[in-house]
Amino acid sequence: MKRLISAAFLSLALIASAAAQDDPNPNSPTPVLLSAAETGRVLAVEPGDFNGRLPKAAKTVFSAGRDSEAVLFMRRLPLIDGEGANAFRVYVKQPNGRTFELRSDEILPTGRDIIALRICICDVAGYRGQPGDTGDSWIYVTWRGMASNPLKIALGSQGGKIGPPPEFAAAVPAAPEFVGYRWSGDRTRFLEQATFGPSAAMDDRIRRIGLRTWLAEQFEAPYPYIPLPDPPQMPTTPPTDCQAGTNPTCFRERYSMVPLQQWFFREAFYGNAQLRHRTAWALSQILVTSGTTTQQSSHAIAYHKILNDGAFGNYRYLLGDVTLSPTMGNYLDMVRSTKTNPNENYPREILQLFSIGLFELNQDGTHRLDGQGRSIPTFDQTIINDLSRIFTGWTYCNTQACGNATPGIVNYKDPMVLIPANHDLGAKTLLSYPGAQVTSIAACTNCTTDAAITAYANASLKDALNNIFGHPNVGPFIGKLLIQHLVTSDPSPAYVGRVASAFNNNGSGVRGDMKAVIRAILLDPEARGDVKTAPRYGKLREPVQIVTNLGRLFPAKAYNGIDPSDGGVSSYVAAMGQNPFYSPTVFNYFMPDHTIAGTTINAPEFELLNSGTAVKRTNFLYVLGFEGLTPNATDALRGTSLDYSEMIPIAQGDPTAAQLVDALNTKMMHGTLAPAHRSLILTAVQAVPASDPTLRVKTAVYLIAASSQYQVQK
Amino acid sequence: MKESRRDFLCRSAAALSMTALATQSGYFNGMSVLAQRSVKQPKSDAVPADYRAMVCIFLFGGNDGNNLIVPNHSDANVSNYAAYSAARATQGLALPQASLLPISVPRIGGLTYGLHPSLGTVTGGINPGIHPLWASGKMAALTNVGTLVRPMTRAEYQNGSVPRPRQLFSHSDQSNQQMNANAGEVTMSGWGGRMSDKMSASNNPGRLVPTVNSIAGERIFTIGEQLLPLAIGPAPTPLSSILALTGTTGSAAANARYAALNGGFGLSAANELETASNAIHREALAIAGSLNNSTDVTVAFPNTGIGNQLKQIARLIKNRTALNMNRQIFFCTLDGFDTHSAQLTAQTGLFTQLSQACRAFYDEMTTQSLGGQVTQFTLSDFGRTFNPAGSGVNVGSDHAWANHSLVIGDSVIGGDFYGMNTTNGTPFPTLVQNGPDDADMGGTARGRWIPTTGVEQYAATLAKWFGLEQADMGYVFPNLGNFAQTDLGFMLP
Repeated sequence: MKRLISAAFLSLALIASAAAQDDPNPNSPTPVLLSAAETGRVLAVEPGDFNGRLPKAAKTVFSAGRDSEAVLFMRRLPLIDGEGANAFRVYVKQPNGRTFELRSDEILPTGRDIIALRICICDVAGYRGQPGDTGDSWIYVTWRGMASNPLKIALGSQGGKIGPPPEFAAAVPAAPEFVGYRWSGDRTRFLEQATFGPSAAMDDRIRRIGLRTWLAEQFEAPYPYIPLPDPPQMPTTPPTDCQAGTNPTCFRERYSMVPLQQWFFREAFYGNAQLRHRTAWALSQILVTSGTTTQQSSHAIAYHKILNDGAFGNYRYLLGDVTLSPTMGNYLDMVRSTKTNPNENYPREILQLFSIGLFELNQDGTHRLDGQGRSIPTFDQTIINDLSRIFTGWTYCNTQACGNATPGIVNYKDPMVLIPANHDLGAKTLLSYPGAQVTSIAACTNCTTDAAITAYANASLKDALNNIFGHPNVGPFIGKLLIQHLVTSDPSPAYVGRVASAFNNNGSGVRGDMKAVIRAILLDPEARGDVKTAPRYGKLREPVQIVTNLGRLFPAKAYNGIDPSDGGVSSYVAAMGQNPFYSPTVFNYFMPDHTIAGTTINAPEFELLNSGTAVKRTNFLYVLGFEGLTPNATDALRGTSLDYSEMIPIAQGDPTAAQLVDALNTKMMHGTLAPAHRSLILTAVQAVPASDPTLRVKTAVYLIAASSQYQVQK
Repeated sequence: MKESRRDFLCRSAAALSMTALATQSGYFNGMSVLAQRSVKQPKSDAVPADYRAMVCIFLFGGNDGNNLIVPNHSDANVSNYAAYSAARATQGLALPQASLLPISVPRIGGLTYGLHPSLGTVTGGINPGIHPLWASGKMAALTNVGTLVRPMTRAEYQNGSVPRPRQLFSHSDQSNQQMNANAGEVTMSGWGGRMSDKMSASNNPGRLVPTVNSIAGERIFTIGEQLLPLAIGPAPTPLSSILALTGTTGSAAANARYAALNGGFGLSAANELETASNAIHREALAIAGSLNNSTDVTVAFPNTGIGNQLKQIARLIKNRTALNMNRQIFFCTLDGFDTHSAQLTAQTGLFTQLSQACRAFYDEMTTQSLGGQVTQFTLSDFGRTFNPAGSGVNVGSDHAWANHSLVIGDSVIGGDFYGMNTTNGTPFPTLVQNGPDDADMGGTARGRWIPTTGVEQYAATLAKWFGLEQADMGYVFPNLGNFAQTDLGFMLP
């Protein structure tokens, strides 16, 4: 309790001394769950017993179950517009060690100094099992990524083997600084979310100009810093002088994703337009194409350029550009879809994965339910059939009308064009939803010429994409995916709702403005703050992010330690389960709803972590951190190593190594390294002779990077 | 020197893991194989005397079963080659009749059907493939099997009077339902994992690895309500180094570094994602020592993705005694079956890999004298539309529903079709779009066969052979009571 009070006090102090910044104090206060006087038990009553005031006595025993409700009480919090019950997550941890997220239903009107929250003592998801009447359990609330104090609640009966209370990281802000955007913990966290890793230069920039201005700067930053490779389009059958056997270098550069992979890592290590690069990478994992099907680097690069260009544009245009991309057309078969044989692949995935998902959503991303409490499908096979017919007739532009067309070579650079004879002319039904502008397309009545058919097909495509884009699901669906890629795996519905709101209207009445969406994601109070204490906050770093974060914290160099890295790290990243630009399927490397095996925790990136890949992660960090990636691997021409020169002076002349570990704690962990872990690391570093400061730095960096504390970005 | 150090490290990893688990009340408390071993006393009467293993090969993407098994006869009373060809030849998706590898089907009056030509002898192959196993009675086919909540007729499908599986035709949902055997619900566990929940303590009381081993990640099939799988990588990496740490030997500094690394994974964490990550790392370090001295297989495996996965499984089986295993469930995958286009080339390549790898595995089991104790079987997301998508070299097929699966092993009563009869009185669907087995209706119907056999009937037959108690069937297969026949009869006792 003491630490809660001091945290609240500190954040008040910070507000009082705020400098002239656009950005407010990023720290949200810690929620405080009220207890029945002096008992350590939660103050809670049944809704029927709540009269609008703080109850004098708590109901002592509740039962778990779908029709069991309770009202909990919290100290007043500075709630913003739209923060209702969906801003709070309520968890109960049972004696068997299982934790359930309870349904948070409603904030009840009450006096101004308290919040009364009506909950159901049942799991919010329904399919993860239900809490039981197993005696005393721990209950706590999270809000904006901050955990409340845990209190006891009796389920079924009082007593039982409850176990120790869950411990949450103490919310201690980093050492105060007095110039500019002074919240150093938040700066580091922000850079982990908005870039491929914090760097000293960007940290300094943000301190001077603040987050909002930095975002504005990033939206305009020239991109890319490293020019995108521009390999020529090649024949489908590799010519004799560019085959894997005769000329492996040519084959690799033209007929694999290697040039794109290398460029990607170099841009991540060295580029300045980090936000665009990071957003495009996230988009490439939502609007997936893959080198498993895409044959040539030129095809993948043409596609990635669409994502780069669209990252800060409007999602409607991005959806349109992706739909007519020949690389996507080939990957999901639209390029082959004709009126005699409409192909269902792209129509299904544009709905299921690129826009609206399978179930109707509320604006906060939770499922809408029918009268019987069931989720409502967004579409059926009829919609797929009709959408398939709308997407018929489009194919590669191999005529002179397209600037990149070359005789004998399939053109993947220009958008697909219509072959009028292949387009379906019948009537089609579109998605139907409240506010839908056009819900059907009539059969063509004047399609007697190619020009008329082309006009009809273009209008149909526009109507269909507008119809999909206008669906109320798109904001919460795409917004939540982007939050998961940038900030946290299991955002609160209120956070999703705020981002969806920015998607629906950027403030000037425009829907789908990606800048507004990104701003909303990164400046949200659930994203911001020096420390997040909610036990499910954060995301496992995907293998790509592990490499790039280290390569920016300790500037990446070639194996020789002098030249720049050539970015040839993909084979190592692939060994950890994520071969960049070779997603195994259109479902990406991991599913957004993946739940950690044996738990109820939603954490997509954990789909890549198992015994085998866990050891691969640790071993990769050893090789990168201690030895450097050698130049002789197939796609690592010059190799990659880390430059520790900033850290070595800190390690020199300090036999205790405390300075070094504390500096790394600030740099890598924004000050959150657990004290017990710090002492383990100190012992290991002290086992390295002080006369070898480089080895001391490597040891400390390796031990922090390999720890779960670092591997989970929070 | 090196070996003894590694032994020491593994012992200390194991000890640490136990300590950490004992002091935490997290989810993983009941899940570590080591912790389990320390608390569950074996019921000595229940430990089986023999060894058995099930090997699930999941064909991700939705394999087109219509080109896996093709009618190769002219009997017009059931769909014959002409019916097949009429629907698929124009667009170029029909396999030439002469290319089919003939199989005789006693269940359908001894009529001849045909397997895809890649399942036999192939150019560059290292073995004769799996086709010969049909004639020798070691391979059977489950026909027209798929996800069902309960059996339904075409009319019931159309009028909605019987609950349908959730999200038919969606990859993610349908592959999950194949693996969770509970088509009406979202669940977080699969039938392999749930079998291990019920069988691990009694059948593998001294196990040094979990009952379920995956060479393809922790997919839902492998996850139990209580127990988790071991997931490791494929060959060629030898088992002895698959979980070995780099740079943990040599100096005092390396020892100290290892101690801090391992100690870090043993700390309790406030963040639950960290707790989960720690548990995975601890488990890996604890198990690494058990895989130290493994012996290799002797039969040649193809150097393909699936070949190397099955090879790793064969190695684990070969080391079963050292690992104290009596019952094992394995999971591996072959991806790329989502053939909306260019299916002929794609399926030829994939079936070649599948057949060569499964045959190598079968032969290796024979070499290990385990032919009757190890059963391979396939699952896939769904079948594909009988009506092709596209034409010419680009021809493919779209998402559908019922499909055919293969089961291989000396305990399989092979050389026949199994499963419930369709409307035509045989277990093979009527190959007619808008026909009696098509879920689609009307002139645009594309031939998405309604399953007549549920995944759980197929799975329960395997589970019974494997030794799952009758009393535990309902836990593993919650909808099994909706199906009249729970043993389809394709396994020897």
